Amino acid sequence: MAQVSVTGYTDKPSVIEGEEISFYVTADNATEAQVDIVRLIHGDEDPKGPGFQEELIHSDFSGVKPVKKQFVDLGNAVRVPDPTGKLALTDSLTIATYVYATTPEKGRQVLLGKFSLAETAGYALGIDQAGRLAFWIANGSDTDEIVSQVPLAHHTWYFVAASFDAKSGKAILHQEAIVNPYNGRLGLVAPFDHTCSVEQNLRLKVKSATTDFMWAAASNSATIRGSFKDLLFNGKIDRSYVWNRALSISEIKSQCCADPILDGLVAGWDTTIGYGENGIDDTVVDISSNKLDGIGIQRPIRAMTGYNWSGRHDDWRVAPHEYGGIAFHDDSVVDCEWEKTFSWTVPAGLKSAAYAARIRIGDVEDHIPFFIRAAKPKARILYLFPTSSYLAYANEMIVHHVPVAQAIGSHPAVLTKTEADYFQDPKYGRSTYDHYADGEGVCYTSWLRPILNMRPKWRSSAIGTTWQFPRDLSATAWLEHQNYDFEIATDHDLMREGLDWLKNYSVIITGSHPEYWNEFGLNVLEEYISTGGRLMYMGGNGFYWVISYRDGEPEIMEVRKGEAGMRAWQAEPGEYYHATSAERGGIWRNRGRAPQKLTGVGFTTQGFDACHPYFRMPDSYHKSVSWIFDGVEGEKFGDHGLALGGAAGLETERYDLLLGTPPHTKLLGSSTNWSDNYPGVHEDIMFHHPGLLGTQNPAVRADMTYFTAGNNGAVFSTGSIAWTSALPSFGYENDVSRITKNILDAFSKPGELPGGAWIEDEKSWR
Amino acid sequence: MSNVSVGRRRFIPRWRVKSSSLSRRFRVPGTKRSLLRFEGRYNPKTLQRELILRDKKPLFWLVGLFALAVIPIAVGQQLVFSIFGSICFFAAINVLWTLIIGTAGLQSFASLATVGVGAYAATYLSITYGIPWPVMLMAGTAFGALMGFIISIPARRLDGLYYALLTIGISEFCRNYVTQSESLGGQFNGALFGADRIVPEEAMQTTTGQTIAYLTSFVVLLISLAIFRVVSGGRIGILLRTAQSSKEDESFASAIGIDFQRARLLVFLVASAALGFVGAFYATNQGGASLSLFSLDQMLLLLAMIVIGGLGKAEGAVVGTVIVVFLNQWFTSWGPWRIVLVGVLMLASVLYTRNGLFGLRQQLIEIRERRKALSRAIRTTRYGAFLPEQGPEIADKGVIAEREFERAIRDQLREWITPEIIEEHRLSPLGQHSDHLERILNYFRKQPISNKYVVYCEESFKAYRVVALSGIPGVPPRSVDDKTYSNLDEAYHAVFLRRINDLKSQH
Repeated sequence: MAQVSVTGYTDKPSVIEGEEISFYVTADNATEAQVDIVRLIHGDEDPKGPGFQEELIHSDFSGVKPVKKQFVDLGNAVRVPDPTGKLALTDSLTIATYVYATTPEKGRQVLLGKFSLAETAGYALGIDQAGRLAFWIANGSDTDEIVSQVPLAHHTWYFVAASFDAKSGKAILHQEAIVNPYNGRLGLVAPFDHTCSVEQNLRLKVKSATTDFMWAAASNSATIRGSFKDLLFNGKIDRSYVWNRALSISEIKSQCCADPILDGLVAGWDTTIGYGENGIDDTVVDISSNKLDGIGIQRPIRAMTGYNWSGRHDDWRVAPHEYGGIAFHDDSVVDCEWEKTFSWTVPAGLKSAAYAARIRIGDVEDHIPFFIRAAKPKARILYLFPTSSYLAYANEMIVHHVPVAQAIGSHPAVLTKTEADYFQDPKYGRSTYDHYADGEGVCYTSWLRPILNMRPKWRSSAIGTTWQFPRDLSATAWLEHQNYDFEIATDHDLMREGLDWLKNYSVIITGSHPEYWNEFGLNVLEEYISTGGRLMYMGGNGFYWVISYRDGEPEIMEVRKGEAGMRAWQAEPGEYYHATSAERGGIWRNRGRAPQKLTGVGFTTQGFDACHPYFRMPDSYHKSVSWIFDGVEGEKFGDHGLALGGAAGLETERYDLLLGTPPHTKLLGSSTNWSDNYPGVHEDIMFHHPGLLGTQNPAVRADMTYFTAGNNGAVFSTGSIAWTSALPSFGYENDVSRITKNILDAFSKPGELPGGAWIEDEKSWR
Repeated sequence: MSNVSVGRRRFIPRWRVKSSSLSRRFRVPGTKRSLLRFEGRYNPKTLQRELILRDKKPLFWLVGLFALAVIPIAVGQQLVFSIFGSICFFAAINVLWTLIIGTAGLQSFASLATVGVGAYAATYLSITYGIPWPVMLMAGTAFGALMGFIISIPARRLDGLYYALLTIGISEFCRNYVTQSESLGGQFNGALFGADRIVPEEAMQTTTGQTIAYLTSFVVLLISLAIFRVVSGGRIGILLRTAQSSKEDESFASAIGIDFQRARLLVFLVASAALGFVGAFYATNQGGASLSLFSLDQMLLLLAMIVIGGLGKAEGAVVGTVIVVFLNQWFTSWGPWRIVLVGVLMLASVLYTRNGLFGLRQQLIEIRERRKALSRAIRTTRYGAFLPEQGPEIADKGVIAEREFERAIRDQLREWITPEIIEEHRLSPLGQHSDHLERILNYFRKQPISNKYVVYCEESFKAYRVVALSGIPGVPPRSVDDKTYSNLDEAYHAVFLRRINDLKSQH
């Protein structure tokens, strides 16, 4: 029997009662599925904890629903809507563009053209199977081509053009490289002679394709699937031009790095138009009188260096005319664009929590998670699921393509079937920890696709424990077990609702790894604390990377990993600035906003071989904070947990006055003496030298801190991802649970915090 | 290896490129092909732009065909004309037969019979109705197609040996039919003469006549080569080759949308019609037809030609024909021994070559590659070391330097493998270990993805296995054994033991 599989996504991360949420589901080899709504209680299957727990929500919605296979039209392109058929050229024509191919050898690729493989019709400038520039025309039944003499060098900018004279059949192809010391992989000393002009007669006449003119793709279509993009291109394309006449070779040569000849110009796209204070959108502006603006598909990457990047500016805001590059990838997807399978209107009276549509076909099951937040905040406690950070890790598969992944993880990877299968055909896109097929780092990630690792029970293959969402459920399960009245929300809610909404709660509890934050989110949180809010930061490596979302598009997140930080990739020189917010990407610390300034602690090490207990530090005995340890015996705490047996570990943080830890911060606990598999973080290293690993580096540790802010605000930080996974140990009754409870009981009460009276140095003549 | 020096100069005709000027590429009129396939490239050793001739075959064809056309005319003797005439005639048949056996994949032995049908039909019609030679050619083509259609009917069901036997039977039937038919010259042992000729009989006594007659045979060879090119190099040929590239031939082809049966029968019909044309040409050349066209020994001689030349290739069919016809007709004084020689040649090419004369080059290249690999293996004394002559073959020199590093580190690590180290790992696969064990583990963990061991979780906290990654999307991890482990520590240790084993063997 053919293998059955099912998965899907929702249209938005979170909803309130009365709102409708839509589900987009694909199923292989099945036509119907049992669908139920469940509340997700606990997500870590480790037998040391309560195991996986869900609660079925009884409603009329439950039942068997029709499902079908849905396809993903992977890959970037720019589509040019052309209602009057200005680009439906069947006579003479010329195409010119600037191209920077990253995988010229991968097989046929289209740069610019109106070409349909299904119709065998149209024209296109592209790259042939031997990596050479090519120009194709097709007449409805046959294709003819002219190809260049030499292959295009990868990571090199070229001016390329093709002209076709329909009367004589004469076609001209021209390429010349634009190499300066900065703009490509190689400089001027590599003695390549890239220039080539070829003339040849073509035997056919063009029949226009009925499909759209596109950049970086041709059209194709297949039964069942319908139309899709084909011959996808990897690399960058800059300013591009189409004329409705055949330019002569001397005219073509004169066009390199020049303004277009206007005689016969049908479209002239200036990719450097459109930069504004908030970045640049997906519109590719046509400067010709025809106004044939193009639209980016699956979010091609803009704000990329162009053919004329001088290397003098590293920022498109200073020199937008040097940033005409648009990067295309054949495996990019930010929206699966599926048909809605079903939707559900949230009934009144449901608890605010993480939920999922549970879809079952026989033994095969998938949970499609979403969150229900309170329509009107009533509780005093808010648990904030870090959905931005979930997006960053969405469909991560570092184990499969990063050779040192097992060294980072410090143990052999532990693969699950889902992950092993997904790498075979990564059709739902990659995470910001991966690279596109051409080796470039992935800078866009999205909610609008199945996210296979944002699922209850999921365990990360690189880490060997749960990661992110399934771990965070241990925190909400603990809150529920302790009978707290709490509500939940997501990063996306915080971004939409802002400070006034957040101030309904007296305490915010973070997820275990809230690593990715945009400026607005940080501002809200910082102001919340400084105006009397309390933060329980129960995680590690938080508030670390700069991200941004375009206004009105909260589903698609941008990350540009910069020149420092523990990073899976690094943006190319000159490409550190976000296209969706005009901000410099990278780590917040290098933008002057180290996490210590907000939480008292900041990222200091990571390792995945073992987790460890904390030891109480002298401060913890001070009466101003000793209440935190009420009921905790001995100096050691947290030597247990579902994450490698300890509460301190995985990714951890340290107190550091030089990085902005508030000076009155108390160091409550610390965990040290870890293995060499915990190295100090990259951003702390100036000169690299022996002794920067765990057994010799004092910065390799986890610090637990506490400080008070104005107006009875306060911040408690655990400085460790593993903390959350220690909460469910021993039936939720343990020292980690006790400490968390002491803090939460104090933080959720309005008014003054305990211990506020002890404000002097101790007398020491005793 | 002290003081070795390697380096190779090789004469490959290459042309410098003047990149500033427009290069004009000409095409053979009516086609999309250029006459010679020049390939521009960057010489990988110098990055110099150069043009090299990728495909020298057209040049060999040009020289070969020119020689074939000119030699008999230059010599001007009747025997030479006759031998070369036979060469052209048989080569034309063999080229078309290659289309049937190679491209269509049908083991038909009725090709000569189809030629015979064309010849007899054209002759009969010419004698009976007095039709002139151009009409004879057309009639031969039509009868060839008809014959092809008839023989193709059983091909829909029969395959391989059975079909071959059937077609031999058809040839035999044709021979019998002719000997028993009065109107086809049965009383003269099948010799039916008196048809219209292209070159009148009396003109055949003159050198001019013989030259013209020879040139017409040559043109027929050119026509059959053109048909071969169009059919085999065209869309239908590509489809058939695609279909035959898989073991499951038919089912594979139909799965990718190729109507295999229809395509091969179409090729068969086209080739048969052309064979009928060749037969009719024989009649207009000889003034009639004779029974040898249906004889089994002639058929086998044709088989010898294509086997010696190399099956499936037009150049094999032509050169094989040249060799066999020349042996057979030049050394007539040797009597039956020349036939024995043909037999020996055929046997030799079946026994010692993979695909006749024109498979020899590839065969020699492979022999050379094997010997090269063997000699390198003998001289390579250490795992993963490179020989001086391998340097130029490796594009990324970083690989060489890293390999050297790894070799040295492996030597060190191997010395540290002790039962104590292994026991230390077994007791605690994770966390801080002794310095030696840490260094061994770091070496393992940093290895490339391809063939890297990982743990595969069959059921969380219950069943784990060891698998090896492919590192290639689309190629799933490979199981290394069928052992399962009940917890992760055991699985980690199993991975460790495998890696230790590999490390021990890599010196």
